[in-house]
Amino acid sequence: MRINLSRISALIFLLLFSIYSYLAGEIRVFSFDVDAPFNAKTFPKLISYIGILFSFLALVFSKNEDEPVSQFEWLKVFVLFVLVFTYGLIIKTVGFFLSTNLFLIIAYYYLGVRSIKLILFCSVPVVAGLQFMLHDLLDVYIRDPLLQSIGIIS
Amino acid sequence: MIEGITLGIGAAFSGYNILMVMVGCFAGTIIGTLPGLGPMSAIALMIPITYGFDPASAMIMMAGVYYGAIFGGSTSSILINAPGVAGTVSSSFDGYPLARSGQAGKALAIAAYSSFAGGTIAAIFLLIAAPQLAKVSLSFQSADYFALMCVGLLAIAAFASKGQFLKAMIMTALGLALATVGQDSLSDITRFTFGNINLMDGISFVLLVMATFAMSEAFMIIFKKKNISFKASDASTKKLGSIKLTKQEVKEIAPVVGRSSILGFFVGVLPGAGATIASFLAWGFERTIAPVKERLNFGKGSIKGLAAPETANNAACTGSFVPLLTLGIPGSGTTAVMLGALLSFGVQPGPRLYVEQPEIFWAVIISMYIGNIVLLILNLPLIPYIARILAIPQKILVPLVLFFSVTGVYLISFNSFDIYFMAIVALISLVLRVIDYPMPPLILGFILGGMMEKNLRRALIINDGSYSFLWERPISLTLFIIMILIILIQVYQGLVKKN
Repeated sequence: MRINLSRISALIFLLLFSIYSYLAGEIRVFSFDVDAPFNAKTFPKLISYIGILFSFLALVFSKNEDEPVSQFEWLKVFVLFVLVFTYGLIIKTVGFFLSTNLFLIIAYYYLGVRSIKLILFCSVPVVAGLQFMLHDLLDVYIRDPLLQSIGIIS
Repeated sequence: MIEGITLGIGAAFSGYNILMVMVGCFAGTIIGTLPGLGPMSAIALMIPITYGFDPASAMIMMAGVYYGAIFGGSTSSILINAPGVAGTVSSSFDGYPLARSGQAGKALAIAAYSSFAGGTIAAIFLLIAAPQLAKVSLSFQSADYFALMCVGLLAIAAFASKGQFLKAMIMTALGLALATVGQDSLSDITRFTFGNINLMDGISFVLLVMATFAMSEAFMIIFKKKNISFKASDASTKKLGSIKLTKQEVKEIAPVVGRSSILGFFVGVLPGAGATIASFLAWGFERTIAPVKERLNFGKGSIKGLAAPETANNAACTGSFVPLLTLGIPGSGTTAVMLGALLSFGVQPGPRLYVEQPEIFWAVIISMYIGNIVLLILNLPLIPYIARILAIPQKILVPLVLFFSVTGVYLISFNSFDIYFMAIVALISLVLRVIDYPMPPLILGFILGGMMEKNLRRALIINDGSYSFLWERPISLTLFIIMILIILIQVYQGLVKKN
């Protein structure tokens, strides 16, 4: 049996469903529900058995082929992931307008757009348009300390 | 029924809902045209926008997005041989050679007319079949529903996973497991939250769909270094040629459209089969029955070879609404997303929908006719402009998709935790997609999880904890046999492949 990505992933799922099965057993149910035909544990336990069964079958019956993964852009995706994460981190404190524009501008620049006009054209009007639609047309309140401080939104 | 149809016509033909269809078709076409973004991503991106709407208008708009995305997928398939969705892969077999021979306009027009005809004929079938099936399904009990959902999950895993049945079943189990996070609906006991208050209400359906489709798709575009914009800009700026068809050409494709509509609709009704299988079957069928001389032209720019898959994939889209509207069971990944959206509106599709909210049931069916007409009227003259969308470079497209995904999720909860969680889920989805784990079974498992637990609970309590309900009732016994057959087919196929 050769080790390949499919087998490693199946093994991870096998472990994951085993932990899930253990946690399902640990769910606290009401005392009058312990011997009931169905309680909060029943369905998760059933799922864990299905998950364990199919992960085990995938582990045993996966093809003996190695999938090439080296030619992919792992770093770029990771940077974008960090960027999304940071966006989530600052959106409340910095506000929707500024944080979203920063997110878009950095993402465009990182992915290779070098024209400042294009970067600004594809960020500021898009964000302003969406914010106007949400705030003024659909009555969705978006917290934005910056725009509030300069009196653009109430 | 007549009363329901009248209500549906009233709702579907209201100015507001016609506008919704138009917006949906247009937005769907634009998103579907972008290579890599299919109907699931398109619908996922539109969900947050529909939250302020009433359920009928939202559903009508999403149906329009679905059609539009399929049509948009055909455009990229025909012009640059880069199908946006799997359902339009077979359209590129003959559509791309036609475009290369200077008849891109004609190819796109055939695609539009065939899609219109397929969608319209299938909508008539839906009008006839849906109420009948809804009446039959009123006799279903919890045990039957549970068995039916098991069949749906197995069928999606078996037929929509490109030969990766075991991986698809793991994803189904993962989807079901994710559905159990949060408070148990009956006892209010919290499960798998690890003390995190953000998980008390469970994982948001929109978050999961956005992360596994829209955001992970954006990551995938970067990840696989797909740079098709140069080719795209080339295709969008060159002359498309005439969009007029001759009488002879119309005569040639008319019977193909009829046959492919019937085939597409019935394939679409089957859980898991959907537009992809329907379009391949239609193309293969037409090629088989064509005279030897014409058969040689298939794959080299045959108009029949283009009309068949285009008709079938649209008919299948309509067909996939039958199990969704009548049984409350989605037959495909896209209708699973729609089911999730409906549930979040407080609408439970199924036989009761036909009885209790006929205006939604019929408005959706009738809006499909309108959607097909809108696609034809709105999109056909706009083809040269829609083609230009293909020229949007990925370095602009990717940040925009990420932005709309994040904003869509954030605007529902205004909780930063959802953004972190979404980014992590998207990254995991990307890794899983790279090693061929299909995502639709995960979404279907997640959406059906709550309903399955509810029906299993009822069935087990009625049967005093015994699983014999699976073979004691005729309906569940039939479904149980189908489940076994699906598994046996998979085992057989696995053995054949191995040998």
